[in-house]
Amino acid sequence: MSLIIGKRKYSSRLIIGSGKYKDYKQTKDALDASGAEMITVAIKRTNIGQDSRQKNLLDYIDSTKYKILPNTAGCYSAEDAIRVALLAKELLNDNLIKLEVLKDKETLLPNEEETLLAAKELANLGFSLMVYTTDNIGLAKELEKVGCVSVMPLASPIGSGKGLTNRDNLKKIIKNSNVPIIVDAGIGTASDATIAMELGCDGVLLNSAIAMSDNPILMAEAMKHAVISGRKAYVAKRMKVSEVAISTSNKTDAIS
Amino acid sequence: MNITINGKNFNVNENSSLYDILEKNHLNSSNIVIEINQEIISKNLWGETKVNKNDKIEIITAVGGG
Repeated sequence: MSLIIGKRKYSSRLIIGSGKYKDYKQTKDALDASGAEMITVAIKRTNIGQDSRQKNLLDYIDSTKYKILPNTAGCYSAEDAIRVALLAKELLNDNLIKLEVLKDKETLLPNEEETLLAAKELANLGFSLMVYTTDNIGLAKELEKVGCVSVMPLASPIGSGKGLTNRDNLKKIIKNSNVPIIVDAGIGTASDATIAMELGCDGVLLNSAIAMSDNPILMAEAMKHAVISGRKAYVAKRMKVSEVAISTSNKTDAIS
Repeated sequence: MNITINGKNFNVNENSSLYDILEKNHLNSSNIVIEINQEIISKNLWGETKVNKNDKIEIITAVGGG
């Protein structure tokens, strides 16, 4: 039942983001409550002028326990994403990257051409790539072909919480793929995560759904169970839908 | 001499090393990466790497993100 990304096995199929929490303590508590074994971080400029004793996000995440997945958030070209990936590799001494190249600041949708270009370059440089992408079926296959270890189509726009607006495309991507498909972006609540897993997704990556809820720690727990439930239901295979009612009780020996 | 750190102008002494700059600005040297003019400088070279006038320095770390 474990999820394999690259060469590493994960018993949890939930990946969470570290953005938008009240503070780093809450980020850590939500991570612990979610049961996730991988957490995304962004690679940005330090805040010069701050107290040097102030703790860094990385001080709160035990890297022996959790896999840190740096993203290339804020990049709008392959060139910028490659630069950020190289910085992340230097910072974390690891070649695993969540590649994210966006089209514009308004929609935050992936830039398909630049994403593919960056994926090719970074794969050649030896990076292990988990790629945020659209629900474009052909592009998902292209990304797999260039060597990405996971393809991560959106369910709906980043931070929208609209849930799965593209189930048919996601199903086709899953069917065609030989690498883990992880829904990334758009999950709003626990049932969305369950539906994604019931469709056959290998995992779910979410951030705002937990961080922007009224009680992030409780929602992190809800997401943990939602992903487990969805996966179990997918493996167990749902019953066939019937147009007519079929009695659940045994019909023999009825009292008449 | 003037240099840029993370997009802001700074005046530093000539012959300053990267470590000197971190120390002077009270920056913690753990969990950061440094670029000079878009070239990553490995941590083991921060002591011997001197900055030059108009260098563009980026000091990068991990922050919250999804």
